[in-house]
Amino acid sequence: MASQACSSGICGYLCSSIGKKQLMGVTAFLLIGFLKTHLLGNFLIIFGRDAFNEYCYRLMSLGPMLIVAEIILLAIFLTHLVLAISLVWQNKAARPVKYYSKKRTGRGATFASDTMPYTGIIILIFICLHLWSFKYGSYYEYELNGIIVRDLYQTVIEYFSNPLYTAWYVIAMIAMGIHLSHGVQSAFQSVGFRHARYTPIIKKLGCILSFFLTVGFAGLSIYGYYISTTLN
Amino acid sequence: MSTNMMKLKLKIWRQADHKSKGSMQDYDLENVSPDMSFLEMLDLLNENLINSGSDAIAFDHDCREGICGMCSLMINGEAHGPQKLTTTCQLHMRSFKDGDTIVIEPFRAKAFPVHKDLMVDRTAFDEIIAAGGFVSMNAGNAPDGNAIPIGKATAELAMDAAACIGCGACVASCENASAMLFTSAKLSQLALLPQGQAEAKERAISMVKKMDELGFGNCTNAAECEASCPKGIELSNIARMNREFFKSALSK
Amino acid sequence: MSKLDSKVPGGKLEDKWEQYKFDMKLVNPSNKRKFNVIVVGTGLAGASAASTMAELGYNVQSFCIQDSPRRAHSIAAQGGINAAKNYPNDGDSVWRLFYDTIKGGDYRSREANVYRLAQVANNIIDQCVAQGVPFAREYGGYLANRSFGGAQVSRTFYARGQTGQQLLLGAYSSMMRMVAKGKIKLYTRREMTELVVINGQARGIVVRNIITGELETYHADAVILATGGYGNTYYLSTNAMASNSSGAWQAYKKGAMFANACFTQIHPTCIPVHGDNQSKLTLMSESLRNDGRVWVPKKEGDNRAPNDIPESERDYYLERIYPSFGNLVPRDVASRNAKMQVDGGRGVGSTGVAVYLDFADAIARDGEDTIRGRYGNLFEMYQRITDESPYKVPMKIYPAVHYTMGGVWVDYNLMTTVPGLHVLGEANFSDHGANRLGASALMQGLADGYFVIPYTIGNYFASNVIDQSITTDHSAYKDALASTKARLGGLLDTKGSQSVESIHKKLGKIMWEHVGMSRNAESLQKGIDKIKNLQEEFKQDVNVPGSNKGINTELEKAIRVSDFLEIGELMARDALTRKESCGGHFRDEYQTPENEARRDDENFTHVAAWEYNGEGKDPIRNVESLTFENVKLTTRSYK
Repeated sequence: MASQACSSGICGYLCSSIGKKQLMGVTAFLLIGFLKTHLLGNFLIIFGRDAFNEYCYRLMSLGPMLIVAEIILLAIFLTHLVLAISLVWQNKAARPVKYYSKKRTGRGATFASDTMPYTGIIILIFICLHLWSFKYGSYYEYELNGIIVRDLYQTVIEYFSNPLYTAWYVIAMIAMGIHLSHGVQSAFQSVGFRHARYTPIIKKLGCILSFFLTVGFAGLSIYGYYISTTLN
Repeated sequence: MSTNMMKLKLKIWRQADHKSKGSMQDYDLENVSPDMSFLEMLDLLNENLINSGSDAIAFDHDCREGICGMCSLMINGEAHGPQKLTTTCQLHMRSFKDGDTIVIEPFRAKAFPVHKDLMVDRTAFDEIIAAGGFVSMNAGNAPDGNAIPIGKATAELAMDAAACIGCGACVASCENASAMLFTSAKLSQLALLPQGQAEAKERAISMVKKMDELGFGNCTNAAECEASCPKGIELSNIARMNREFFKSALSK
Repeated sequence: MSKLDSKVPGGKLEDKWEQYKFDMKLVNPSNKRKFNVIVVGTGLAGASAASTMAELGYNVQSFCIQDSPRRAHSIAAQGGINAAKNYPNDGDSVWRLFYDTIKGGDYRSREANVYRLAQVANNIIDQCVAQGVPFAREYGGYLANRSFGGAQVSRTFYARGQTGQQLLLGAYSSMMRMVAKGKIKLYTRREMTELVVINGQARGIVVRNIITGELETYHADAVILATGGYGNTYYLSTNAMASNSSGAWQAYKKGAMFANACFTQIHPTCIPVHGDNQSKLTLMSESLRNDGRVWVPKKEGDNRAPNDIPESERDYYLERIYPSFGNLVPRDVASRNAKMQVDGGRGVGSTGVAVYLDFADAIARDGEDTIRGRYGNLFEMYQRITDESPYKVPMKIYPAVHYTMGGVWVDYNLMTTVPGLHVLGEANFSDHGANRLGASALMQGLADGYFVIPYTIGNYFASNVIDQSITTDHSAYKDALASTKARLGGLLDTKGSQSVESIHKKLGKIMWEHVGMSRNAESLQKGIDKIKNLQEEFKQDVNVPGSNKGINTELEKAIRVSDFLEIGELMARDALTRKESCGGHFRDEYQTPENEARRDDENFTHVAAWEYNGEGKDPIRNVESLTFENVKLTTRSYK
């Protein structure tokens, strides 16, 4: 059996189909971890301007640590993205002539699994706009316990006061939910975890998690719109 | 036995050879008995075509009892047609209704080029097996068959995986034309059995590498392969391959 | 002096093979790579032979019709493989397996060959286990055995109902390992059209590339045919659609003899024919007879639904006639009895050509779950084909052509009368005599390929002068190419009005009617005349559309059918001249008052090997007499 330099070890692993999808799965787990903490943090918005801005301030004051964390997060995301692009490209190439008629058996693929690249694109666009809006967007100052901090709460209200913007967020979050409903169980399968008893549970938990993340993020967007209407 | 003969409209892919461009052609077929197998229905169509001086439709088939893996066909967009756990040769016309339109296409994948009409080249599968789907032992070396006990449960799992007939429905039905179910079935069989342990690592690496080289797509865990597999090969084999490959690739 | 020298070595039966292996000349390991071998066919015999010879160092060229060697029809064998391991401790031994096989074959096989087969059977199991064949196991992890096809001991190893598949995939995987190593060159989608004999030795073949339509020549130092049986002569059989015997038939035309052509096995448990468009028959494993009870209504033409026929009006004829073996009588006996019932007007189903195989009692006794555990797969398959559930309604079964014991005559070395041409597996005539026992076909195919030919081929190379300067440039190849081209051209140019398929169907009807489960002189003679007429019809009126370029499935079929037409004639001739009943060959004229087969040991304890005598001439019947030094010839009795 062949065992050339590039076909073995970490390099061979990363070049292989299975290596790629496992990395895809692992980055997915990490991104889901990030999403959960992000959502928890966002929930502070419910507790008002002070609580939310303090949370943001504390995050920012991590300084270089935050930058390192952001770089890691970006790296994870880009890995997921680049792998996705390469896999989609490879997968499309694997069937150059399309079927005249192709049907889902109804026992395997789902709408979610079939639309992973598309929901992924929506999420990508969303993230770009999201960073544009909230990381590099409008800057207001706010005094919190005698310190001048960024009033991100104001930024949130400003953006979500636009119902179209809120609607786009809801749509994007639904796309994310769909993406995750297949993604969670898929990641488990990719890293090789499958069990007659636990896999069905994982599938359900994956769907529940996707649902809560969607409802959480989308709900907060609507909440943002709601408070913007009460303030004005 | 039914006497109610059916009339069908068939849309069939015709392609002269692997270089030519193919297209869907329409055919009408009468006197189709519900007791006929799908391939017998195609035989009847061919008999009509031959008698009218046309070229018969080429399609692969051999044992016609669902075990050789030679028959293929995408029938109305599903590999081996609508019936679960069934090869095309075991599909019967009673699964269709009088007046139905049936779309018949070849299995499509870059790694399965079309030879003619509905006949495709699946030798890529042989190449995957040649890359490591075996135990390296010469005839005459074997110890007594009972020298190594193998638990019944393990033997059954290995048999589940070994039941693969290599028809390629997994590739055909996969959105990505991935051969992971096929590859993992052979890999699983040998990974489960003690006889396969000695070269398990080399096997996992070289079979996956060959599979990748041949231009099959990757797995997105959608499970269409499992759903359309006529022999019920399970996705758990792919999970096992993922584990085996991970262990092997990083320790080599 | 007979032209047939079996080359059976001397010595005690038990020691013959061991001693012979020692006496054989060997090819030095480094010299093996100088020898090339052609293997046609990749079933159990072909694949195991190719892989083993490649492992030894020979250069092998392997040919098959299908797109992959993994698809040969050995794959469809369901039941299992016999070996005298005696794991169940029930009194089995090599001797008993040998004895059962000889007796089951109705004393028409060679003692020495059969004994060797029984001896190496154990090695086959070991070999397959080591390859990773997932045989059924007991809870303790040891190999499971079952009793099969009426054997009095449990000696059958199995892998669910897919034993043939698993054994073939094992041999195929070994083969692919050698393909990867470059020791086997694989030529798929090729069909052999001619054997090339140079200086009296088999040296090469002409094949048609099924994809391009081109004729190709291949050259070697020996040729091995493992091309399977000729059951498709009957059109409807359990053989695969592409199963054919053209390779063996072309060898016959180049000097190999065709032996015992009339010995065909009709398998008793197949799904009955449903209509005129049926393309093949599906076998249901014989293991079903372990629990199923065979019956027909007592009344002729009783067309009530089976469950409406009361117990008292059913005839469990096998249990009635054979009280000690009951439903487990050998295949030929079960088949013939089914035919007698149908001929007597007691057949069932819409065609009246079937008998019931009823599981109601077994289900009542063991419960539906137990029965599902044993036969679930088979019941599902049956239901898929017939749309009836065997859990609720008795199965309908009828015998169908399944296996051909006859084939190319070979000696103890598995070599034909053409030096260098060896024939393995179902394609040869050896080992099974007039009737094959269940689970013995797999055993023979693998024995030939893994454990016999690897030795005897070395002996052939070491003891013969083979001119290795010859290449495919030799004039014999040009001649063979020209004759194949002419033959194919003839088929394409006929432009008649009948499709190949329709003529094949006609041949099948003639064969089934005249050379079927029971035969008689008058009907056989009529059959021969009909076949001759059909041969003429084929020549004048066949319609093979398309050209010889590219894929032409009709041309492929035409080549096969033109050979079947000739084989069919030989089968009838052989049946006509064998004036006795034995095993699968039942002559109405030769039966006991109880309708059992009556052998004529005095005049027919021999192999009839037919020699080609040129186009349009009657073949010559040669005889190899069989001597039995170790077993006493008895009349089979299953009462």
